[in-house]
Amino acid sequence: MGSASWRTSWRKVVAPILLSLVLLLSACSYSSPYDDVQEETTGRDAPAAVSDEAQKGGSFNQFFPRSQDGYDVVPAQEKQGFAEYKVNRDGTNVAMLSINDTTSNPDAKQKFASSTRQVAGYPVVDIGNNQTAALVADRYQVKVQSRDESFQKEDRETWLSKFNLTGLAQLK
Amino acid sequence: MSKPIYQLVDELPTGGPTVMALRALDFVIPGQWDNLVGFDNTIRTVTGETDPALVKQIGNRAVALFNDKSEGYQRALWLYQTVTGASAALGAATLAGKAISGVPFLGVLGNLAPKPEKAQSIDLAVKLVTEVVAFCQINGIPGDSVGDFLASLGDYSGESLMRMTALVCFDGLIPLGPTFADKALSFVQGSSPSDLEHNQTFKGVQELIPGNDSSGKLGFIKESFGSTKGWMNNFVSAKNLTPEKVIDNLEKFVEISKDKAQYVGPFLDVFCKYYEHTGVQTLARRLVERAVAEI
Repeated sequence: MGSASWRTSWRKVVAPILLSLVLLLSACSYSSPYDDVQEETTGRDAPAAVSDEAQKGGSFNQFFPRSQDGYDVVPAQEKQGFAEYKVNRDGTNVAMLSINDTTSNPDAKQKFASSTRQVAGYPVVDIGNNQTAALVADRYQVKVQSRDESFQKEDRETWLSKFNLTGLAQLK
Repeated sequence: MSKPIYQLVDELPTGGPTVMALRALDFVIPGQWDNLVGFDNTIRTVTGETDPALVKQIGNRAVALFNDKSEGYQRALWLYQTVTGASAALGAATLAGKAISGVPFLGVLGNLAPKPEKAQSIDLAVKLVTEVVAFCQINGIPGDSVGDFLASLGDYSGESLMRMTALVCFDGLIPLGPTFADKALSFVQGSSPSDLEHNQTFKGVQELIPGNDSSGKLGFIKESFGSTKGWMNNFVSAKNLTPEKVIDNLEKFVEISKDKAQYVGPFLDVFCKYYEHTGVQTLARRLVERAVAEI
């Protein structure tokens, strides 16, 4: 067998193998727009998502509004730097209430620079379709989110003012 | 490390035995569970936000929170995966090779031996306790009092309520019958630390169950099971649930011959990964709820 014909038959064998390998790899490979953040937040030197300096979530509980006027306010989450309550009406979740310490993610404060209105003297902004937030003492973000059509932007604003914002501002 | 959280959520199945078995339980909690899959889809559905840049921002924060080991989300995932894997291993150990002809989907039923009631009881109790531990890993201990905490636990809905429904039906009613809660409690009360140490499901998750040793962990399990027994009994009577009803509804989705009904429990153990499936969904939802609030 001459070297030329050997090369041809070699190619005949290898080409389909390579092709099936390519197909196999493309079928297995998974990529996502979150791959970058995954890389940034894993590994030994990855920054913590929550700062050690952040307030304990439990310290926020006292500043939340309580159940009232047919709305049940039910505790949902309490982690370092974060506390969240559900607002339910007739068993349906209509809104979420939260306080978080932006010490862990100071970027969250940037949006308040463009605020044009206030509640109890603190800047307020609307975000996306369903969120209204206030920034208290340049540190604590207080957010009200709609989870049902019955709970509108005006309701978010009303519930924002039900928090004890001046009390929260004293939390050191 | 296992797969990234967004990949786990993206790859949740939309069909197959787990999803079919869970859909069969829709009659218990109509419309409560809609098999939410896909990471961005979860963000859009949970928050109602549609702007792609905002969705990405929420997703980025959720990924960062999940990847921070000290936040407990990875331990919760491990619990959901391990409790599923351990009970599957128990069922699979009894799986032989041959299939029964004419019963395509549940063809392997004849090769599965039902678990002894004691093992099944410990299994049920360990899964229930795992739920409480995973809840705390994900949500912390919300509120200022025990009452607050119980209100938070009692506010289960969506995929979490579906997981509890599947636990009651697949790990309680089907293998142990209508009085499963009392039966299981008496088995658990009568168990020794060494019974517990021989249970695969317990072995899988024991390190995260509160208690210094097996005896302390058994105490915690007895106490937790005792205090949730009332909830399970109320759930069964409020929904008018019987093993027959559950099997009748399963039959609408999968083929089961009546004389093989006793094998449904072990079959579900092996092929229905309901705990992990709905666990990943719960984890994703709670992560997204926190992420959208924090950004």
